[in-house]
Amino acid sequence: MKRVLEAASWFYPNWNAELAADLVEEFELPMNRPVKKVSRGMHSAVGIVIGLASRAQITLFDEPYLGLDAVARQVFYDRLLADYSEHPRTVLLSTHLIDEVANLLEHVVVINRGRIVVDAAADDLRGRALTISGRASAVDEFTAHRHVLARQGIGSLASATVAGPLDDVARARAREMNLQVEPVSLQEFVVRTAADSASTDVADRISA
Amino acid sequence: MTTAAVARVARLHLVDRFSYTWLVWGVLAFTFAVNLAIFAVIPTRPPEGYYTGALITIYIFMAVIGVQAATRFLPFALTLGVSRRTYYVGTVALVVGLCLIYAAALTALWGLEGLTDGWWLDVHFFRVPWVLDGPWPQVWFTNFVLLSMVFLFGLWSGLIYRRYALIGSVAFYAAITLVVLVAALLITWRQAWPRVWQFLVELNMLDASLLVAAVGVIIALGGFLTIRRITV
Repeated sequence: MKRVLEAASWFYPNWNAELAADLVEEFELPMNRPVKKVSRGMHSAVGIVIGLASRAQITLFDEPYLGLDAVARQVFYDRLLADYSEHPRTVLLSTHLIDEVANLLEHVVVINRGRIVVDAAADDLRGRALTISGRASAVDEFTAHRHVLARQGIGSLASATVAGPLDDVARARAREMNLQVEPVSLQEFVVRTAADSASTDVADRISA
Repeated sequence: MTTAAVARVARLHLVDRFSYTWLVWGVLAFTFAVNLAIFAVIPTRPPEGYYTGALITIYIFMAVIGVQAATRFLPFALTLGVSRRTYYVGTVALVVGLCLIYAAALTALWGLEGLTDGWWLDVHFFRVPWVLDGPWPQVWFTNFVLLSMVFLFGLWSGLIYRRYALIGSVAFYAAITLVVLVAALLITWRQAWPRVWQFLVELNMLDASLLVAAVGVIIALGGFLTIRRITV
């Protein structure tokens, strides 16, 4: 493992050995063990150490969390954000754990079955989809002329996820109708959009 | 692809110092010791001296290292942003360089064997008749060309296996066999066997080495084309 980091340092002009040593300590990596004999999570952690310490202008993290426990993942997210704010650069992160990284993202691209279904700034996506919940009849009336991404109903209650944004008039109307309006989480949004992505119309409307 | 990038790949391979030093030379030293021990205990020495083909071990190990090097550090190098081609060129550059040194070492041992009359036992270990026979620069060149060739062949085989898996490897060896077969059939058909023998008899080792070098270059090109789009 020592040699892996040593070898990696030759490849990056901006390599920061202090940061690497710091991360190794935080991830509690056994530096004297051969790479082939460490767990999946440790293997991922070494990749993260290299990715962060390289300080390369463009860094790709392809599902870097494989085998990492929740604590270590949080360490990764925190260190990524901290180092990014000190040394801004382009970091491309592919992940299935959307909610965990939702706060880190600046730009979101969602790919479903090989096609890009969302391509927008993260800030724009907040409010792009909303959940309307309340009495089923009121929900149906409110969403009649809107694009409904998903609808669930329990008895006389229903909730529908609609493509946003809602203007103030629409919000006021929802209040009048006793409907609750909540923004959906990025993960839920992605799940809904992916399910709905059969219709290209939505994809076009969502891409910024 | 800069020289610096190629040099870094070469350096990456040297992280594994074991294969390139102890494995190759340790095994050769062991074979050599066993050979000497056996010849030393034989009571009557034949008048023409002892001949052994055991030098082939280092050639076999060069091929094995070639297969290993094909993909050993490739996944790691790719995650570090090295291109496949740079990896290939770096690997070949390193090993061709090493082969120069190894061939020099073999030639030095070859000379020593001559000076000591075959280690005082009349053993021909490094002095292979016809092949490693002649002035030392030629012996060095032949050793270098042969070592590089077997390494490059191992490297190409390793890449073929990695890219096309078992079926591809079988097809690769079958294709080589077919090429040889077609050549043999053509020679037979043209009734050219006497001329071929004539050519081989008249061929001196320098020309033969140059021929092997040409084959080595073709193999190196084949490997270069194979590493494209290889998956890791």
